[in-house]
Amino acid sequence: MNVDYLVNSLYLIKPELAIASALVLLVLIDLIMGNNKKFLPYVAIAGLIAAAYFIIGQFGMNSLAFVSKSNKGMIIADPFGAFFKGIVVFASLFVVYFSIKSDEIKASFERHGEYYTLIFGMILGMFFMISASDLILIYISLELVSFSSYVLAGFTKTALRNSEAALKYVIYGGVSSGIMLFGISILYGITGSTNLYEINSLIQSSSIPNLTFILSGILIFVGIGYKISAAPFHFWTPDVYEGAPITITAFLSVASKAAGFALLIRFIKITFIKSVDSAGYWQLVDLIDWKTFFIFLSIITMTLGNFAALWQDNLKRMLAYSSIAHAGYLLLGMAVLSNQGMIAIIIYFAVYAITNLGAFFVVMLIANKIGSENIDDYKGLGYSQPFLGVSLAIFLISLTGLPPTAGFIGKLYLFIALVDAKMITLAVIALLNSVVALYYYIRVLKNLFLSRPANGTFEFKVSFSNGLVLVLLAAPIIILGIYFTPLVDLAKNSMQILGF
Amino acid sequence: MHVPIEYFLVLSAFMFITGVAGVLTRRNAIVIFMSVELMLNSANLTLVTFSSYIGNPVGQLFVFFVMTVAAAEAAVGLAIIIALFRNKQTMNVDEINILKW
Amino acid sequence: MLTEFGKIFVFLLVAVIFVIALVIVAWLIRPSRPTKEKLMTYECGENPEGSPWVKFNIRFYVVALIFLIFDVEVVLLIPWALVYRQFGLGGFMVGAIFLIMLGLGMAYEWRKGDLEWERAKIIPPVIKRPVFSSKETREAEPVKSKQLV
Repeated sequence: MNVDYLVNSLYLIKPELAIASALVLLVLIDLIMGNNKKFLPYVAIAGLIAAAYFIIGQFGMNSLAFVSKSNKGMIIADPFGAFFKGIVVFASLFVVYFSIKSDEIKASFERHGEYYTLIFGMILGMFFMISASDLILIYISLELVSFSSYVLAGFTKTALRNSEAALKYVIYGGVSSGIMLFGISILYGITGSTNLYEINSLIQSSSIPNLTFILSGILIFVGIGYKISAAPFHFWTPDVYEGAPITITAFLSVASKAAGFALLIRFIKITFIKSVDSAGYWQLVDLIDWKTFFIFLSIITMTLGNFAALWQDNLKRMLAYSSIAHAGYLLLGMAVLSNQGMIAIIIYFAVYAITNLGAFFVVMLIANKIGSENIDDYKGLGYSQPFLGVSLAIFLISLTGLPPTAGFIGKLYLFIALVDAKMITLAVIALLNSVVALYYYIRVLKNLFLSRPANGTFEFKVSFSNGLVLVLLAAPIIILGIYFTPLVDLAKNSMQILGF
Repeated sequence: MHVPIEYFLVLSAFMFITGVAGVLTRRNAIVIFMSVELMLNSANLTLVTFSSYIGNPVGQLFVFFVMTVAAAEAAVGLAIIIALFRNKQTMNVDEINILKW
Repeated sequence: MLTEFGKIFVFLLVAVIFVIALVIVAWLIRPSRPTKEKLMTYECGENPEGSPWVKFNIRFYVVALIFLIFDVEVVLLIPWALVYRQFGLGGFMVGAIFLIMLGLGMAYEWRKGDLEWERAKIIPPVIKRPVFSSKETREAEPVKSKQLV
């Protein structure tokens, strides 16, 4: 190992380096400037833009960083990773903007330095999670994301529901990452390697004790399933989403989930794949029946999420359950186990990210003014604040998946993938679930537009910059709902994972 | 003296089960954290065992990182427990119940 | 000739004898004036009274947490210190960056006052914010009184 080798690898992780430098810069500014904290968000935005610039460069790359004699490479730079990193940066940019505007965050002014530093710690962890190809790096980056988000979930520590959310998060997170680590240790024992590519070539060539391998695979999935809040591991989601500051809720529901799904896809595809046939279906190694596993998991995840959302009165909590349901839909794309399913996941995720950020932004703006997230307090919003009301309606309709919004395109591609793979029953179940989802989203819309407002509830103005950001989030949903070719092209370009 | 690998694995599995059982049954947040640490340590034991059995140092390298992560987890967890204790004056997870269904 | 272990044995022997000699010399020269305070159980400077199972000052936890974090970093530094020469400048830089990061963390908590025993009171800034509808949250929210720019 020499300096050249190190420098060559560093070229491949430029986005991570940009984020890490921004993190150090944020700490230094917080140290030096003391009480003058107004530069922090601008430094954060500058760091994110730099990272975005480097990520665009990664769309053409296809190589491994930190290769050595004993390891086939720790980090992958490929279009697939670049797409999900792009989602993370996109979400982070908006979340930094939300944080500037959120009263909840403004209230704990003296700790803003920590706030942005921790957000950047989370972004760094997600970047490594998205591009890791080694179990050690996967575990450490997962924990980096988790620790930062535990602290952020309890950031405004004077509010009881914040600390409670943080404690629940830390307990569930600690347990599931412990379980995942045990699975990793067993997998290491069976294969003698922590590199996903090496494990793949090993399980293809030699015979592996079947039962132990299934055990380790399921145990590792617990850790990933907790990050994407799939059904048996979702218990933290509603509590944390409701209790955490709303900016963090938006960030967790988009960026954290994006990193989790990227990790899941990469883990399954690199570790277990035997070959990809001409129609794009993945032939997996015959050790774990991932297909049945994912079908089962996605059905319970979306059913549970949708039905539990039916009787929620807090809009944040309802969106939490709806995000669980969306994790279920995304797992459907995994269950197809084909390139087509993966394209569907990518399209769905791009749409979901924009929509969810928008929905949480409206909830935040209203909570800033009326101090409530209760659905009943939204009565008549559509009359007194038509702009906010209509944008929230657009976001909710897109989350339901009705045309002419982009949410419809996401669901459409998912169902096409399911039907092509001859999984009609599953498609029908997903469709029925969407009908259930329609009911609880419509309930909000009913409150918005069909009830008369109580006097003087919504006497406030949306500032120009907030309105602009809202338009920036709402317009793509309508535009992509009608003209979706660029989105599909992007998805096709970014589905390439190194090696297969 | 030669100790078979099964002994280590059985011990670590036992530690892991104890940790999981502790998380599920105990009600004091600090004890729950101790159980989580026990789970991490059982994984450490497995890693070290396999590492010396296979003759590959990666497992021991991993253990270093896991130890660091475990310390950070304890720090974050205890800090959050302290923050909650200041607000609520309890460490019993059954009484931490504003957020539910 | 001494074997390798022999050298260590001599080293151990010298260490033990040195300690014993120091203790004896100290015992010979020091004045012996026991008082009540000196004979009390040492409890971090507090008067030892009552059960030890009491609530401790929360700052002990903070110090313990900081110690825990910096203590464990040694685990990563020892293997690096053993092998960094083999990797030339690159190996050195890796450890140096790690140490700079650690130093930054140290500076951060120093600046934030977590190493001070007497902390300055933080004056909470004030925001025109509506109270959340949930009752429990409202009680926990401190009342602010000054306008913040």
